[in-house]
Amino acid sequence: MKNPLAQSLWPACLSALQLDRYLLGELSGAAAEEVRAHLDGCARCKAAASTMRPEPLPRLRLLRAPRPRWHRAAAAAAGLAAAASLVIVLRPAPGERPKGNGIALTMYVKHGSEVRRAGPGETVAPGDSVRFAATTPAAAYVAVLSIDPRGHGSVYYPLGPRAESVPAGADVPLPLGTRLDATVGEEKIVGLFCASPVELDPLRARLEQGGIEIPDGCQVTQWSFVKR
Amino acid sequence: MDGAAIERLYRSHGHVVLRRARSLLGSEHDAQEALQEVFASLLREPSALREARSIVGWLYQATTHYCLNQLRNRRTGLRLLEQRPAAPEAGPGNQEALAEVRKLLAQMPPDAAAAVVCHHLDGMTHDEVAELLGCSRRQVGYLLERAEASVLRMEQSA
Repeated sequence: MKNPLAQSLWPACLSALQLDRYLLGELSGAAAEEVRAHLDGCARCKAAASTMRPEPLPRLRLLRAPRPRWHRAAAAAAGLAAAASLVIVLRPAPGERPKGNGIALTMYVKHGSEVRRAGPGETVAPGDSVRFAATTPAAAYVAVLSIDPRGHGSVYYPLGPRAESVPAGADVPLPLGTRLDATVGEEKIVGLFCASPVELDPLRARLEQGGIEIPDGCQVTQWSFVKR
Repeated sequence: MDGAAIERLYRSHGHVVLRRARSLLGSEHDAQEALQEVFASLLREPSALREARSIVGWLYQATTHYCLNQLRNRRTGLRLLEQRPAAPEAGPGNQEALAEVRKLLAQMPPDAAAAVVCHHLDGMTHDEVAELLGCSRRQVGYLLERAEASVLRMEQSA
């Protein structure tokens, strides 16, 4: 193996830190002038700086404001939340036999520096980080949806609009976690395991209206946790 | 620093965290999570920035710290890691070398790993690394040497 530390992976003469500080206006007059002059005469640094510009960012999750529409959905959420134990609903694709309940969704909770594996009905705290792991006997398109105590539905995984492919395996971590906001109460989690990359927004909307329509070719596992 | 100020900082400086997390973690999903986590840590500890001499410097360090922890956790959960789909995200041309460095960083002493990130991934001089990490220039040299030594050990045991 060649030592990967033998050379710098940074392609410019000015460091990334220096360029970022310059681009964000953090350098003093003389220091900024020095960087500006260098950039004028150095193609490598100019190229590096051009890759460091701001880009559109998603919403900062932790600061999300309480959502409207919760009055209507709260009643529905209360109904759904009654099922605090693990429920597995199977609905096979046409012409396909159900594969049994080999699917599962596990939640890992990080509270402070401590990480634990959480089960249905788990009590968690606002500010805890959660991350999901999927168990599936065959590769599947997976999504994790939730409905919070206010009846606000959201997609925990994935970031994109459709369920994403997860390989077969036990406890395969889904590469996206989330931090719980300050809404206390019972939050319902819906894990979808599908044969195709289903659209998630219609499902999320349906969930907010108090139910879930299980798309053809999907299996669903549902449970809830309590935030207090 | 209140929520609104953190939100403003997120809008103006968030891309720095995201770009850094992408190259350290090699996965868009994990980088997005790092972005959220770094700013969430400011909400938990709003005074953290007050003593920082440079906001950009603080964000660099917070991101490095978070990402190195993630790399080590991934290594601990190796069984899980091996089942992860490979990160398809494209970036600058040196993806292969970066992936190699990531593996090494996960196995190095944390302070040596932080120095390696600053020096080899960000192109900082020893002086810059020393200023950012709050240690002496000599200490930086020592950390980088320790990093090299642990790479040699890994090579020998590979």
